[in-house]
Amino acid sequence: MIYNLAQLLERTAGRFPEKEAFTCLNDSLTYAELDQKANQLASYLVENGVRRGDRIGIFMNRCLDTAVAVYGILKSGGAFVALDSFLPVNRILMILEDCDIKHIVSTPSQSRKLKAISDAAPIIKSIIGLSNEFDTVTVSWASIFSRSLNSFSPPKILELDLASILYTSGSTGIPKGIMHSHHNILGLARLEAELHNSDEHDRIGNFAPLHFDQSLFGYFSGPLVGATTVIFPDSYVKLPASLSALVAKEKITLWFSVPLILLQVLEQGDIENKDFSALRLVRFGGEVFPVKQLRALMMKWPHVKFINSYGPSELFRCTYYVLKEPPKTDDPIPLGTVWGNTEYKILDEHDGEVAIGEPGELVVRTAILMMGYWNDIERTQKSFFKIKKATGYDHVYYRTGDMVRENTQKELFFLGRNDRQIKLRGYRIELDEIEAVLLTNNAVKAAAVIMMQKDADSRTLEAVVNLEDTMEYSTEDLIRYCKDRLPPYSVPERITILKDLPRTATGKIDRPQIIKSLETTSL
Amino acid sequence: MNDRIISYIISEISIEPFDTIGLDEDLLGSGIVDSLGMMKLVLFLENEFIVKIPPEDMTVENFGNVQNISAYLSHKLD
Repeated sequence: MIYNLAQLLERTAGRFPEKEAFTCLNDSLTYAELDQKANQLASYLVENGVRRGDRIGIFMNRCLDTAVAVYGILKSGGAFVALDSFLPVNRILMILEDCDIKHIVSTPSQSRKLKAISDAAPIIKSIIGLSNEFDTVTVSWASIFSRSLNSFSPPKILELDLASILYTSGSTGIPKGIMHSHHNILGLARLEAELHNSDEHDRIGNFAPLHFDQSLFGYFSGPLVGATTVIFPDSYVKLPASLSALVAKEKITLWFSVPLILLQVLEQGDIENKDFSALRLVRFGGEVFPVKQLRALMMKWPHVKFINSYGPSELFRCTYYVLKEPPKTDDPIPLGTVWGNTEYKILDEHDGEVAIGEPGELVVRTAILMMGYWNDIERTQKSFFKIKKATGYDHVYYRTGDMVRENTQKELFFLGRNDRQIKLRGYRIELDEIEAVLLTNNAVKAAAVIMMQKDADSRTLEAVVNLEDTMEYSTEDLIRYCKDRLPPYSVPERITILKDLPRTATGKIDRPQIIKSLETTSL
Repeated sequence: MNDRIISYIISEISIEPFDTIGLDEDLLGSGIVDSLGMMKLVLFLENEFIVKIPPEDMTVENFGNVQNISAYLSHKLD
């Protein structure tokens, strides 16, 4: 029986030692090589003091060694924390401090930014994957891969142990760390393998970066069945013509991404001139796929099965909807029905269940629910809805914050959010967080951040601020201030300085009025 | 041409403030430019050098680094 992620890899390495586990452009690793290299990294980490549950950062662009980093950390008993290399240094430091990261696994292409991080973060004891001389100890990949494993004794790992912390934006301005156990990620890998009916003949297209939970499909569900995961480098994911050429060349059979990547491939990928006959299943999730474009793509790829999947990172995913044919109308695509080991309720504002067909908040109970938010019991408790079955025995549901309704076929439809979280180009963004960051600037007296929708395909973030009278500050300065503190996708496209923000009669910021005035001033 | 491209990237679209960018540095892979920045860069190049850049030309071979962008543009302008 396997119950942790180290065993997942070891079992597949035993079954298919010579099979390609991961490839990235011209490099690849077989399952036996990956297992060996992961053990070597684990032996280094254990020798340098890493103990079960310790958090290890991964600071890498999309490359082959990410697979070694993930499995090496897990085999050491540690938990991996994937750091988005596009985040500003300040925000990375916040995460390092929040979960007390002492070791970072990286790669030479990140050395420019790592220098700034290691200079500012004295808690970092070592950086693996670099040969540069920093003040911090650096250990090259070559020296890791030449280690002998004779004296390495793998630590004991239970399925209950922490495997990963996924950071996401929090409305207060401090990122939230979602904790997942070995059990949760293994459970996700099994559910995904069942959903795709995947096996060792599959080739998985991995388009998501490691800090985005869609990547867990390629990193774990692929190895669970002995499939090959093809890691697409950042430059390919951002250039659709190159992306579609590589999908065709690599004979990808399973695709999972945000709708945006599929949209770009449809519109700029030159797909008529490429061979996608190997592709058998496309799954998308993370935000709503505009129906017109989805229909167009399905017409171009009639041999492919399309699945919409939905779920917040706190429980990875919970529903899926199989599209049997291109949608006939422009009605929104359902989120679908829940998959295995999962149930739900739809609640009104008083936590009572709504009647069928009525809108309400989706709450989900599942075997792969997060352990909680790292170092934040209060936010964890707030996110749970509990039904007391007996003293000391509760059914725990996660409050998704997503408003849904259910039709008579038990299919769920997404209606919107019950808070100010938005999805933009697949990213989860808290508008309150951007306002909170603007307000940390002494020059800013009041701030409102708004998502402007010019037409169906173009949405942008804008901010309006009111400055302290005595402060001289330009909009460029404010945008720079945001860039230094927020993920790039959360930085407002435009910031407008107003003498006073429009207020309602009760003194609250009047957002509808702001939207109106911005609409008249935009091009 | 290289200088004009580099100065635009540094002043308008780079994620972090950089002093300079290497000609062969991987723009998209090493965290210098994100996908929105790449779209802005293409618009800038179209206006600055009065060329039309069709989607099928937006490949890693043509846009992976500053050197490749220059080579691609020189070829287009010939």
